[in-house]
Amino acid sequence: MSGRTEGGAKDLDAGGNPLGPHIIAAALALTPLLPTPALAHASDRGHVLLLPTGYYIAGGAFAVAISFLVLALLPPAALDNFLRRRVSLFTLGDSPRAVVSLISFAGFALLIAAGLFGSRDPLSNPLPLVIWTLLWAGFTLLQGVFGDLWSWVNPWYGPWRVISRLVGGRRSGNERSRLPEWLGFWPAFVLFFAFAWFELIDPAPDDPARLAYAAGIYWLVSFIAMLLFGYDDWSRRGEFLTVFFSMVARFAPFERRDGRLSFCWPGARLLAAEPLPVSSTAFLLLALSSVSFDGLSKTFFWLGLSGVNPLEYPGRTALIGIGSIGLVLTFFLLAAVFALAVFLGQRLAGDRHSFGEAAGLLVWSIVPIALAYHIAHYLTVLLVDGQYALVAFSDPFARGWNLFGTANMMVEAGVVAGAESAWWLWNIQAGVIISGHLLAVLVAHGLAWRLHKQASRAALSQLPLTLLMIAYTIFGLWLLATPTAG
Amino acid sequence: MADKNGFFDLSKTTLSRRTALKGIAAGAGLALAPGFVRYSQAQSSAPIKIGFQSHRTGIGAAYGRWYEKTSTAAVKAINDAGGISGRKVELVIEDDGTDPARGAEVVAKFAKQHKTDIVFGTLFSHVVIGSAPAAGENKIPYFVVSEGHHVASTKLNRYVFQPGITDVKSQIQSMAPWIAANAGKKVTQIFPDFAFGYDHRDYLPPALKAQGADVIAQIAIPPTESSFTKYFPQIPAETEVIYHVMVGPAVLTFVKELGEFYGSNRPQLFGFIDSLEAVDINSPGLEFLDGSHFWEGSPRYAQPDDSAAQKAYRAAVGIDDNGAAVGDPKDVSTAAHMFGCWETLYVVKKAMEDAGYKGPEDRAKLVEATEALKEFAEGTEHPQGPKTFNGKIHQCFGIQNISKVEGGKLKVVHKTKIEDGLYEPEGDYTTQAL
Repeated sequence: MSGRTEGGAKDLDAGGNPLGPHIIAAALALTPLLPTPALAHASDRGHVLLLPTGYYIAGGAFAVAISFLVLALLPPAALDNFLRRRVSLFTLGDSPRAVVSLISFAGFALLIAAGLFGSRDPLSNPLPLVIWTLLWAGFTLLQGVFGDLWSWVNPWYGPWRVISRLVGGRRSGNERSRLPEWLGFWPAFVLFFAFAWFELIDPAPDDPARLAYAAGIYWLVSFIAMLLFGYDDWSRRGEFLTVFFSMVARFAPFERRDGRLSFCWPGARLLAAEPLPVSSTAFLLLALSSVSFDGLSKTFFWLGLSGVNPLEYPGRTALIGIGSIGLVLTFFLLAAVFALAVFLGQRLAGDRHSFGEAAGLLVWSIVPIALAYHIAHYLTVLLVDGQYALVAFSDPFARGWNLFGTANMMVEAGVVAGAESAWWLWNIQAGVIISGHLLAVLVAHGLAWRLHKQASRAALSQLPLTLLMIAYTIFGLWLLATPTAG
Repeated sequence: MADKNGFFDLSKTTLSRRTALKGIAAGAGLALAPGFVRYSQAQSSAPIKIGFQSHRTGIGAAYGRWYEKTSTAAVKAINDAGGISGRKVELVIEDDGTDPARGAEVVAKFAKQHKTDIVFGTLFSHVVIGSAPAAGENKIPYFVVSEGHHVASTKLNRYVFQPGITDVKSQIQSMAPWIAANAGKKVTQIFPDFAFGYDHRDYLPPALKAQGADVIAQIAIPPTESSFTKYFPQIPAETEVIYHVMVGPAVLTFVKELGEFYGSNRPQLFGFIDSLEAVDINSPGLEFLDGSHFWEGSPRYAQPDDSAAQKAYRAAVGIDDNGAAVGDPKDVSTAAHMFGCWETLYVVKKAMEDAGYKGPEDRAKLVEATEALKEFAEGTEHPQGPKTFNGKIHQCFGIQNISKVEGGKLKVVHKTKIEDGLYEPEGDYTTQAL
């Protein structure tokens, strides 16, 4: 704000015609000089500030530490056997996959049309509500609970199958990859970063038309890339949603192998994962760091560091520079701390595996944490904007329709308001964050045993990573307990 | 008249926010829209389009949601009673993200892309100040409901109006007579250390002085502070009234710690409900406020002597006797401010009808017709109370409420006079070219 204080009121008073273009700058310069009833809402975070959050934070950190000690004492083989248990459920074919994807594509096309031609209000237009609330906040949860639904409902597979059939029968993704190997998963990394930037930093990601262009162009570019490089290859290494969702799906307590669906322990499938190359290790860390930064960027702490008055939050446009730096910085910080923890762990245990292999394997333990952050962070959005989405579905083009009978449904914003809701939400969020970290310790322990077949060395190698997880538990709970803007 | 037109029947209908919003497709969508033939009373004329610059996202979203509810209800009421000059009114919502730069873009979008007749709505001062130049450049009337003094300061431009809510300078000034006569003569102010707090820091002392009272200490709290105990020893022992206007998430902590500091033996407390707008007054931590007083623009709680117009307004917007959403008692409204949306839309109606407004080519006439308005009588259009309007500074002046926290509710104990809040104009917009 202080950068806009040059100039001042005289510019405005001088002359009879105040309507020149210079006025914008002059008026902005006036902002800090004029009386400003910045009606910062006391907000529901105010209720959380009165809760004994410090005890939760201490308790959470303690629980994660204790879980490490307990695991260190358990025989790893027994634990491994326990986690490998499966309960076979039923056969599940994937023949309708293309049809489901085609239906999903049709829905997506309708949403883009709604974004372009429907209401300009982001809480009445179904496009921003579906993309940000139902897909990004909500569907991630479904992936974490039910497994890889995205491989069915993504809007590319069906159209790709149709086009492939029409142009010469390349049916599966078995064709030789034409995406250079050296690119690794970096295309997905770059695209995920662009996505996170758009969501967190761009001034108006909720604007229906802006989002329609962004999403529509992204679909088209991805589709062309799938035609060029093969569906499987681009989905696996380029299309960031597929990469993210398939990583999250590995946490789910369902496993489909050879067409048969089984039930397993949540997170158990992560133990069988292959080590990730450095590009997808970075991707997973970026996924966690970006959600963490979203929380951090609204805290009084961060805004204070950035010289921004949180009670006079200047809006997203004014924070583009600071936000961009913060988003990058959070990633590098998390990546550096993670790498350090893995490196120190290897040194402690005298590990002969390469650093890349150890990091690529242990990074899978980040998945439960990323999922927990996602749930805790987006819980309130999901509860309120999810209702707006239901309303918007009934009248996607703002034409007065009531397609599903929900057009006049009352949106109950009170579901997240008040002291009682704050208590419930805080407890759910804290429970999710702590559980996520406990599972992460468990998964890391199992993965470490794959690297070190000796139990004591496996445990020793986990010491630094456990400290990181304790720190991240504290950080995650603090993010939800500290004063925030808005 | 109102009854005859079915106005009071609003309370019996299920009010949908979409009722007034349907058909607001914009951009290319507008070209596709098949007109608005469903409006039986004005088939021959296109609707009047009001660009609603709304805090749908960002820090102001809690206010934005209630501004939207109130505006939608007002538009429905206006339309049910025949619209403006027989033409239906349509709100076109654009989200400003509570972001000044985005706000300016949105105003330009209304003028150039949506071609709305006017722009209306926004609250946060920095968004108003950032958007006002765009309104001036596009020569589109911009009716704000911000309560900031920026409009009345005459430092914006001739296209910006605030006819639906009294500005903060007037609000503060009009509190002084009651404070001096009823609460005490020695006042200590506690306020956040930035522009919002400075309004109170600067406007209250001279107003109190004129009433024979004094501000004996001013305690500015850094905006990022979340614990306040260390500031309380600065409150002089002889303080008779603590005038507090803290805002932000730490308000509840502030009140709780103040209570712990004083126990049962405290000075009088006077605050602005801005601190607790949209927050349940019965929240844990706020017990210490019992018996204290607050400024309210419009009362949150239904009062025994509410006028028929006030009752109808509350029913139309959908707030219950506790000022929360009907059917969602935890969703506490921003009652002290949002009435300004309702009243502003009725001022727009009056000014458009006075001007014989036909379309965007008549915007200058609309500006002049608005400037010519003098007073608004209490009633259906102005349920908060009567107001005067100063066309030179584009600002209205109304009565204010002083409410006491009693039995977990806010009970109005005093209504100020309009004259209590009048001050010397600081300029004259009407000298600027249109």
